[in-house]
Amino acid sequence: MDRRNFLKTAAGTGVLAATGGLAMPALSQGAAAKTLRFVPQANLANFDPIWGTQYVVRNAAALVWDTLYGIDSKFQPQRQMVEGEEVSSDGLTWTFKLRSGLKFHDGTPVLAKDVVQSLKRWQARDPMGLMIKAIENELSAVDDRTWTWKLKQPFPKMLLALAKNNAPCSFIMPERIAKTDPFTQITEYVGSGPMKFARNEWVPGAKAVFEKFADYVPRSEKADWLAGGKNILVDRVEWVIIPDAATAAAALQSGEVDWWETPLSDLVPVLKAHKDINVDIGDPLGNIGAFRMNHLHPPFNNLKVRQAVLTAMNQEDFMRSIVGDDDKLWKPLPGFFTPGTPLYTEAGGDMLKMKNVAAAKKLIAESGYNGEPVICVVAQDMSATKAMGDVTAELLKSIGLKVDFVATDWGTVGARRAQKTPPSQGGWSMFHTWHAGADCINPSSYTAIRANGDKAWFGWPDVPAVETEVTNWFNAKDQAEEKAAMDRLNKAAVENVVYAPTGFYLGYQAWRKNVTGVTSGPLPFFWNVAKG
Amino acid sequence: MLAFIIRRIITTIPVMAFVALFVFSLLYIAPGDPAAVIAGDQASPADVERIRQSLGLDRPYLVRFGEWFFRVLQGDLGTSIFTSLPVTQLIAQRIEPTLSLMVLTLILAVSIAVPLGVIAAWKAGTWVDRAVVGFAVFGFSVPVFVIGYLLAYVFALKLDWVPVQGYTPIAQGIWPWFKNLILPSITLGTVYIALIARITRATMLEVLQQDYVRTAQAKGVGNRDVLFLHSLKNAAVPVVTIIGIGVALLIGGAVVTESVFAIPGLGRLTLDAILRRDYPVIQGVVLIFSFVYVLVNLAVDLIYTLVDPRIRY
Repeated sequence: MDRRNFLKTAAGTGVLAATGGLAMPALSQGAAAKTLRFVPQANLANFDPIWGTQYVVRNAAALVWDTLYGIDSKFQPQRQMVEGEEVSSDGLTWTFKLRSGLKFHDGTPVLAKDVVQSLKRWQARDPMGLMIKAIENELSAVDDRTWTWKLKQPFPKMLLALAKNNAPCSFIMPERIAKTDPFTQITEYVGSGPMKFARNEWVPGAKAVFEKFADYVPRSEKADWLAGGKNILVDRVEWVIIPDAATAAAALQSGEVDWWETPLSDLVPVLKAHKDINVDIGDPLGNIGAFRMNHLHPPFNNLKVRQAVLTAMNQEDFMRSIVGDDDKLWKPLPGFFTPGTPLYTEAGGDMLKMKNVAAAKKLIAESGYNGEPVICVVAQDMSATKAMGDVTAELLKSIGLKVDFVATDWGTVGARRAQKTPPSQGGWSMFHTWHAGADCINPSSYTAIRANGDKAWFGWPDVPAVETEVTNWFNAKDQAEEKAAMDRLNKAAVENVVYAPTGFYLGYQAWRKNVTGVTSGPLPFFWNVAKG
Repeated sequence: MLAFIIRRIITTIPVMAFVALFVFSLLYIAPGDPAAVIAGDQASPADVERIRQSLGLDRPYLVRFGEWFFRVLQGDLGTSIFTSLPVTQLIAQRIEPTLSLMVLTLILAVSIAVPLGVIAAWKAGTWVDRAVVGFAVFGFSVPVFVIGYLLAYVFALKLDWVPVQGYTPIAQGIWPWFKNLILPSITLGTVYIALIARITRATMLEVLQQDYVRTAQAKGVGNRDVLFLHSLKNAAVPVVTIIGIGVALLIGGAVVTESVFAIPGLGRLTLDAILRRDYPVIQGVVLIFSFVYVLVNLAVDLIYTLVDPRIRY
């Protein structure tokens, strides 16, 4: 082919394509009307909800994989894939039965053997799963729809473990997929949830598409968070990854997308003023701002120094740095648990209300602090951690601590915080983060509250009084006992400064007014959401 | 000429090998840990370590580099740590938007900047010249993302002429493809237009002082022919050079532009990979960009011989 012919062919192809002469994957207008376009909080870069436990993966997985139980808005586990369960009188044998008619997206029925293998994979990665595994005698299928879990000692929180929405959730996969090592990523995304993952349309970093699963049989109960009937009212849900907040806001205003999970607070006034957009609180359980101090090395291996930081802290400074002037979006938090939840407590939280720099300086003087620099590691690429880091630096200076502010990105913080070496040898003294309020309603999935030394989360606090109360909570017979354990736990955690809570804050979500059924929850729920 | 082209392509091999070694080493010593990102914020240190082991990140530098380099020699750029997809597949998914953006930007920039530079030189010292120089200063001074937001606000949000974000493959029609790309191309092209216009103006000013130009004018050759036939060709070598160098600017600018307009191109792929420490993807994309840059330089060298027959290889 010579140059002239090539140009003719290329031009001809372009004209054909432009006029619709070539086969194209584009949807017709009718189909487009049934497509819900959603901007998630982050990129769906991988899709194994056991291997990778980021919230965005969990949120997408809740569409594709179902769970045996689902948590409702009253934090109660409700049956989802199971028809029923029995527990022996000694509490040692649990027998479960699947409801009939459940199918995976590849058309095969959901069987007990699939459940057993899925639970085994989940157990290896989940803190509550590991607790069950430690007291397990046997987990096995009895027949196609029944399986038993035999334990060495009772585990009263069994249903909560299977229902909880904290990552990793106990999603049920086909046995052949669930046999994948829990530390290796699965490559086949077959579930039995209300939507199928359109793998061929997945462009990591740009788009993820979910299609309605025609054979899904929702429960008859009304939908309530992860419990009840998951009725999908659109044909497709497209996740459009828009990394730039201003662009996402513009796309929502122009109608190119329908729903934005986490609008930046600076842009919320613009969205609220738009006639076609609704704005409301996204997750009512919000987030708990935090900075972790390294309990292994000076100066924060000294209890008095840690207490001095809490004594001087003014949580309002931290919260305003994140949410600005919107008072609806934050609350002071004299403790560690999520406000508005049944077991919330402020017991023993007085130190977090003091805001007393003079008292803090006195504690520093008593501590014998000899001027070691505080290596304050801050991820600048996350607005909340950046904002909190700036406030912390001023706080530490105000009480006489020497601060070495290390401004970096989250990828570096993630690696550096795992270092147990002294700060002078590549370690760290403190880093900033936040915890989803959904993870902090009780100790079951609250990794950050644990204080079991080497096994604890980064910072490695070692406080036996805290661990005793965690155990007491797990063994509690009723809610009164749970509440009492939580009160003591909160007090011990504050007194020993397991970490520093910087306050409780909420965020908005925004959606077009032609979209109905959007609810507040710890994750975006797509069931019963319709697009007009 | 053919011998020159073959020689140049062969010489790219050690350059690419050095780039590969450099990039791999840089990532090895850089702080950050993909395992920590994968495991999620709530993961225990033990979980992070298990993931590091499963990804092979705990193995020695030389072993990892040797394995990677051997695979690259066979055309295998490895597998993304995060998506478990082949890097070649990820790059293939993203190359069309970036190439489209770069080509359209280049066409826009050259077709606007070269005439602007020529006219500014011809009208040196007048308000036309000052306007072009002023535009060039503006183009250099205003950050890419500011221009992007301004254009999106006016032409997408207020006038509703084009979409705010996204990319439509050319197979779905030239018009939808163009509508998605026009704002990003103008955004990215602004700096480029400024750069080429200034260089064109400067070299044209020099050429217009030459005796042969005065001779042509004295012979009664028309202004258009004097400018575009006699002068521009002789001013073209530095202009072609700067267009070639500008491709590097385009690659860098594409990262920002693709983020602002949510275009799923190689720029965003690179940025995402860097933030997550997805080493195989970073290495793969850098190798591709390096190769493109070497080829562009080769093309520039060849174009020299077309615009100036005295240049021979």
